[in-house]
Amino acid sequence: MNTESTVMASDTAPANGSPTLVPATHSSAALKVGDRTPKPSEGLLSLFLPNRHVAFPLLILVGLVEAALFLALWVLSPYDVLPTPLEVLSALGRLWMTQGLGQELATSFGLNLQALLWSSLISLGLAYLTVLPVFRPLVTAISKGRFLSLAGFTFIFTLMVGGGRPLQVTLLTFAITVFYVTSMASVIAAIPRSEFEHARTLRMSEGRIVWEVVILGTADKAFEVLRQNAAMGWMMLSLIEGIVRSGGGIGAMLLAESKHFALAEVFAIQLVILIVGMVQDYSIEWLRRLCCPYSVLTLERK
Amino acid sequence: MAAPTVLPLFRSDIGAKMTTDFSYQLRETLVHLEGVSKSYDGTPILRDVNLEIKNLVRPDCLQGQVVALLGPSGMGKTTLFRILAGLETPDSGQVLMGGEQKTVRSGQVGVVAQHYPLFAHRTVLGNLAVAGKQIGLKGSAARDKAADLLERFGLTEHSDKYPAQLSGGQRQRAAIAQQFMCSDAFLLMDEPFSGLDILAQETLIRFIHDIVSKDELMTFILITHDISAALQIADTVWVLGRDRNESGNPLPGARVQASFNLIERGLAWHEDIAALPEFGILRQEIRELFPRL
Repeated sequence: MNTESTVMASDTAPANGSPTLVPATHSSAALKVGDRTPKPSEGLLSLFLPNRHVAFPLLILVGLVEAALFLALWVLSPYDVLPTPLEVLSALGRLWMTQGLGQELATSFGLNLQALLWSSLISLGLAYLTVLPVFRPLVTAISKGRFLSLAGFTFIFTLMVGGGRPLQVTLLTFAITVFYVTSMASVIAAIPRSEFEHARTLRMSEGRIVWEVVILGTADKAFEVLRQNAAMGWMMLSLIEGIVRSGGGIGAMLLAESKHFALAEVFAIQLVILIVGMVQDYSIEWLRRLCCPYSVLTLERK
Repeated sequence: MAAPTVLPLFRSDIGAKMTTDFSYQLRETLVHLEGVSKSYDGTPILRDVNLEIKNLVRPDCLQGQVVALLGPSGMGKTTLFRILAGLETPDSGQVLMGGEQKTVRSGQVGVVAQHYPLFAHRTVLGNLAVAGKQIGLKGSAARDKAADLLERFGLTEHSDKYPAQLSGGQRQRAAIAQQFMCSDAFLLMDEPFSGLDILAQETLIRFIHDIVSKDELMTFILITHDISAALQIADTVWVLGRDRNESGNPLPGARVQASFNLIERGLAWHEDIAALPEFGILRQEIRELFPRL
């Protein structure tokens, strides 16, 4: 133990009883208690210790190393059925140049975006409407739609909107909405009573409170819910485009390649979906930080 | 009750008019709790709480007042706070507020809860501006009042910060400033000294003293368990507690058990009150009262 920081009161207490001023070294030593900044001696070990702050460049390096490890495992995999990275890249070029992967991707992106806009409109509207007790049973019922299979709705939606693209949009909107509305309604239900009361003490009308506390107050969380559901949209997209192939899209292409056991092509399409999804994910997160800068101020990991 | 003490002249560095005159008058009733009772799930929390806060007037002085409601933990202080704020309705009795003595409603009293509430999604200036809108202030009028309050509360340089970027003391001042945007007569504070270190407590006491000594219409109502802090700032102290039965067991439901007029004891409007021997005596008196409540 550092001798400078372990001076006992009895060691320094003067006989006349006047107060003892603790040297500055004690203060700075005390400040480090509980600090999550790793000690220099910990080095790379800090990566394996809980709740350590790690510099961003180091995290990037760790990510690159892990990606390289994954690639090595993939290349050296004993499963012959797995296509190699080179085969996947070759398939990607082929799909893009000769089979219209770019066109199908644009179709799917448009479909996902359209469904996301509709589901955002419906879900946020319904979630905000839970401030009115009359809408709460309806929202609860819609959220239970998460347990239902999309296949069961294909026929009824076909009768309602016809086939092709409108049917795809309807199915995907439904699929996203049941999750989106559940998450957003939970966010609103979790607003502490104190926030409503704070607004009331400022003489706000209940309508104004809905705007200030429920809508503006949860805006940052709404972005996060949007981000998660946008990702789920891509996950469900291939299923829906598979159900309604007449509308085309990358999901229909994926299922067609899968049917013919063209695994390199399947991997290539998955890779494209992953890249587009990640770009979308980071874009929404960037938008959240731009619109709601306060949302990251108190985070341990920003 | 001790006889009024004539106190020596003190230099006020906080804006109060310098005076040797410690006489005062109690005029119309500002806050009146009449038989307020409240139970939760059948358990009485407050039982027949009665108290009256009158308008205190000092000749030739811009003197507001500070009233402290003291009590040990679990005595229903927060329930009383919520009732006084108009956020909760008593099961019986009523709270009358203001010169017209109307039943209190939320928004009539400025309220600073224990966690210093502010809108996390607005900057300090935004928090004040949105409060200003509630009383019809628009555009430059709202901005001017907000800027004035920010300057008065030492927050000008923090006006563009979000609440999460403020220290505890700054956040507390910002929360008070926000309430002042739309309520400048009563300010109710729940455990304002809780979690503050001794320096921050002293700063807050000076801060409240500063406001009260500049505004004769201002009434601070502090609800706290901190005897020392309350005695340093209050003019009147009410102690909340439970009655005991013949066996000495506490009966459910707290009510006002004692009140202390600190002006009469020479413990108000005074610098460095805590250094006076009377301060220690009164603190001990109340301290000894607490275990019996």
